[in-house]
Amino acid sequence: MDSTTKQASSRKSGESASARQLKTGGFWKVFKQQKFLYLMSVPFVIWAFIFSYVPLWGWLMAFQEFRPARSFFEQKWVGLDQFITLFQDQQFYLALRNTLAMSFLGLIFGFIFPVVFAILLNEVRGILFKRTVQTVSYLPHFVSWVVVAGIVTKSLSTDGGIINELLVSLHIIDRPIQFMAQGQWFWGIVTASDVWKEMGWNTIIYLAAITGIDQEQYEASKVDGAGRFRQMWHITLPGMRTTIIVLLIMSIGHLVSIGFEKQFLLGNNLVTDYSQVLDLYALKYGLEMNRYSYGTAISIFNSVISIVLLFTANGIFKKTTKESIM
Amino acid sequence: MAGKWLKRIMIPLSVVSLATATACGGSSDPTQTETSDVSTPITISFFGSDASPTWNNMKDDVGQAITKATNVTINAEYDVSGGGTQKIALMTASGEYPDTIFPKGSITKLVEAGALIDLTDLINKYGPNIKKVYGNDLSRLQYSKDDPSIYVIPTNAGVGEAKFDAGGGFELQHQVMKELGYPKIKTVKDFENVLKEYKEKHPTINGQPTIPLTLNADDWKIMITVTNPAFLATGAPDDGEFYINPETYEAQLHYKRPEEKEYFRWLNHMYNEGLLDPETFTQKNDQYLSKIASGRVLGLIDQDWDYQQAENSLKTSGMSERTYGHYPLQLDDSTKDRSFQDIGPPVGYGIGITTSAKDPIRIIKFLDWMASDEAQVLNNWGIEGKHYEVKDGKRVIPADVQERKINDNTNFTKESGIGMYNFSVHYGDSVKDSTGNYYTTNFPEQILASYSQPEKDALKAYGATTWKDLFPAKDEFPVKAWGAAYNLPSPDDPSYNVAYQKSQDIVRKRIPEAILAKPDQFDSIYDQMVSELSTDEMKKMEASYSQLIKDTVELWGTNKK
Repeated sequence: MDSTTKQASSRKSGESASARQLKTGGFWKVFKQQKFLYLMSVPFVIWAFIFSYVPLWGWLMAFQEFRPARSFFEQKWVGLDQFITLFQDQQFYLALRNTLAMSFLGLIFGFIFPVVFAILLNEVRGILFKRTVQTVSYLPHFVSWVVVAGIVTKSLSTDGGIINELLVSLHIIDRPIQFMAQGQWFWGIVTASDVWKEMGWNTIIYLAAITGIDQEQYEASKVDGAGRFRQMWHITLPGMRTTIIVLLIMSIGHLVSIGFEKQFLLGNNLVTDYSQVLDLYALKYGLEMNRYSYGTAISIFNSVISIVLLFTANGIFKKTTKESIM
Repeated sequence: MAGKWLKRIMIPLSVVSLATATACGGSSDPTQTETSDVSTPITISFFGSDASPTWNNMKDDVGQAITKATNVTINAEYDVSGGGTQKIALMTASGEYPDTIFPKGSITKLVEAGALIDLTDLINKYGPNIKKVYGNDLSRLQYSKDDPSIYVIPTNAGVGEAKFDAGGGFELQHQVMKELGYPKIKTVKDFENVLKEYKEKHPTINGQPTIPLTLNADDWKIMITVTNPAFLATGAPDDGEFYINPETYEAQLHYKRPEEKEYFRWLNHMYNEGLLDPETFTQKNDQYLSKIASGRVLGLIDQDWDYQQAENSLKTSGMSERTYGHYPLQLDDSTKDRSFQDIGPPVGYGIGITTSAKDPIRIIKFLDWMASDEAQVLNNWGIEGKHYEVKDGKRVIPADVQERKINDNTNFTKESGIGMYNFSVHYGDSVKDSTGNYYTTNFPEQILASYSQPEKDALKAYGATTWKDLFPAKDEFPVKAWGAAYNLPSPDDPSYNVAYQKSQDIVRKRIPEAILAKPDQFDSIYDQMVSELSTDEMKKMEASYSQLIKDTVELWGTNKK
C-alpha cells in the first residue's frame, strides 16, 4: 500500500517537475514538499514491517530440526536437509502439479468470466434489472466454502442430485455419473464452483473501471458509425485494460498459495491424486506431524516461487504492454 | 500494493500467528486462584479430542451438581470433527495449553513438547479414589519403558468392564430380518443374500430408492467402517492399523493379510452387484447419517457410536423398526469375531494435566472426586429423585425418564448431562458398588428396558437377550498380552510418523479404488497396494512398531514365554 501512496503522490504533484527532480537527486526537496503524504504512509509502512518482515526470522526454522518447547538456541541445525527431503518426495511434485493446474484454471476462468460479465452488464439498459442481476450474482461470495462444498456435492450426487437428474431426464446419459469419484473431473469441479462463487464479486471492480471511461468516446464512436460490439471491443475493453493487468499480475503472485479449503472440502480419498495441493501437503506432512521445520521449508519454497512468478509476469507485461505494478 | 502481496507470501507467519490466535486460552482465567483449597471456586479449562455435540457448558443438571459439590467449573472445548491432531499441533507450536487435556493419539506430541506433567506423585498423594478404582498397581499407566512417568488417567475404557451389549459387527435393520423370517446368518455371504432379497422385494422405501449397504469413508471414519471390519471379519482382534502376531509380537500392516484381501474382494463384489452404495467413498459424514436417518439403508458395517445420531432420529420419528441389530459375521465360518477378547486393565486414551495448569493439586483433587462413587453414580445415573429413584435399596429409572432416554436421547442428554462428565477413571459395565447396584446404567435389565419393541422381537427370534449373546464370549480367547495396540502411544520418531502417514495415504486411496474396480482389475490394484506397503521405509516402520509391542509386554510383565 505504501508504494501505491508514493506512486500516486508523485503522479499528482506535477509529473514533469517532480520526476525530473527525483532523477537529479532532489529527493529531500521532494520529501519536504510532500511531507504530509509521507507521514500518512507511515502507519502502513509500520504495519507491513511488523506483519510481513518481522515474522521472516521464523524462516530460520527451515534450517533446523525444530522441536517445540525448546528455546531457539537449543535447536539442532540441519542445513538444507529439510529441502532435500522435500525435493525427494514424490507427493510433493504431485501436490505442486495439482496446485499449479488448479490455479491456472482458476486464473484463466476467473478472469474471462468476470470481464465478460462486466461488459455484458454494462450494456444492459434497465437499471433495476442490472442492479438485481449484479446483487444476485455476487451473493454467493458471502457463502462460506463449507456450505458451497455441501451444495456442490449434493447437486452432483448420484442419489437424487439435481445435475444427474437433469442429465438423465434429458436422456443425455443413461445412468447417473459419479462426478465426485473421478479424479479427472476434480479440477473442473473446483474451477466451476470457484467461478460460480466469485464471478459476481470480481465483476464489481471491472464495472467500476468501466464507469471511469469517458462517455465522449462512445459518442464519438457512434458518430463514426460504430455498433455495440465495436464499442465494446475498441472502447470498453481498452478502457479496462489497466485494471485487468494490475489484477492479473497480482493474482499470478498468488498462484502457488491458493489455500486449501476448496480442495479439502470437495476432495475425498478417491481423488487425492488430483486434490492434494501444496497447502494441504504442508498441513498433513508438516504441521499435523509436528514437523514445523518441514512445513516452513515448504512455505519458503512457495514464497520463492511466488516472487519469481510475480517478477516474471511484471517484466513481461512491462515490456509488451507498458503496464506494470512496479 | 507491495505490502499486500508480501503479506500473502509470508507463510511462516501464518504458522506462528495461527498458533497464537487459536491457541486454547483459559489458563489465564483471572478467577483461577493458586490455592488447593476446595472451597474456592475454580475454572478448569479442558480440551477433548473427541467431538461432543451434546456438551452444554455445565448448564445441565449433572453439571450443576458437580459445581455445587466441588466448586469447579469446567471450561471445555471439544474438537469439531474429532481427532484433535491439528488443534494439538497448534498448541505445541504455541506452548499454550488448557489445564487439562484428553489428547487421544496425540499424547506423543504433548510428551515430546514437555507439556504434560507426571501424575505419579499427585495420584499417590491426592488420589485415593483413583487408586481405589484403578487398583494399586499403576505400572500399566507408565508411558514407556524409557519414560516411566504417568501422563494420563485412563478415561476411555471402564475398569473391570464386562460389556453386556455389542455395538459393532455387521448391522441389519430389524424390519429386514423380520420380513425374511429372521434367517440364521453367519457369513458375509448370508449378509449379502439378505440385502439382495429384501432389495428385490422393496426397491424403494418411503418413496426413495433402497440402499442395501453404505459405508462411511469420510476422513478417519474409513478405518471404522471400511478397514477395521476387514480384520474383525477374518478373526483378528483390533490393534489399530497393525496385525500383531500373538506368538512373536511381530507387527505388520493388517491389510497385508491375505484373508483381508478376500474381504475387500467381497466388498468389490458387493459394489459390482449394485449392493454397495456407489457414493460410499465420496459422501461426507453428514450425508451418510442423513441416508441412515431416512430409513432406507438396509445394512451397515459400523460401530453403534458412529451412527447413533441417525438411529436416535429414526427413533424420534417413530421408525424403530428401521434401526439396527448387531451380527458377528465372518468372511467364512473358520474364524470367530474377537470383538470381546480380553485386553486386560484399561490403559491408553485418558486425561492429563498440562504444564499450563496453575494448580495441579486442586485439579487432581477434582479428578479424584470424579472417580468417587458419588461422582460416578451422578455421571451415570443423574440426580436422585429426578433421573432415578431408589426403591428397596435398588436404583431404578422411572418409565418416563427411560422413555426420553430412548426416544429423545439428544435433548435429554443436553438437559440432564448424564454421561457427559467422563473426566476420570471409572468402573465399567457390570461392576457393582457397595449398595449392590451397578455403577453404569448398562446392566441386563436396563439394557432390555432400553430396547425398542422391534429390537426385542429380533433378539427373541434369535434366542438371545442382548446382542452380545450372539458374539463369541471373552473366555473363548486368551487375554491379549499387549492390551490393545491402538491404546499404546506410537513410537515418537519422525521417520516412523512419516512412513505411517504415507501408508495411510496409500491405503485410503488404493482400497476404495480396488473396491470400485471391475472384478478382474481388483487383484492388480490390491497387489500394487501391498507392494507399495512393503518398501524398506514401511518395513522399518513395522519393525519399530514390533519393538514397541515387545517393550510393552516386557514393561507389563505379561510375556508368557
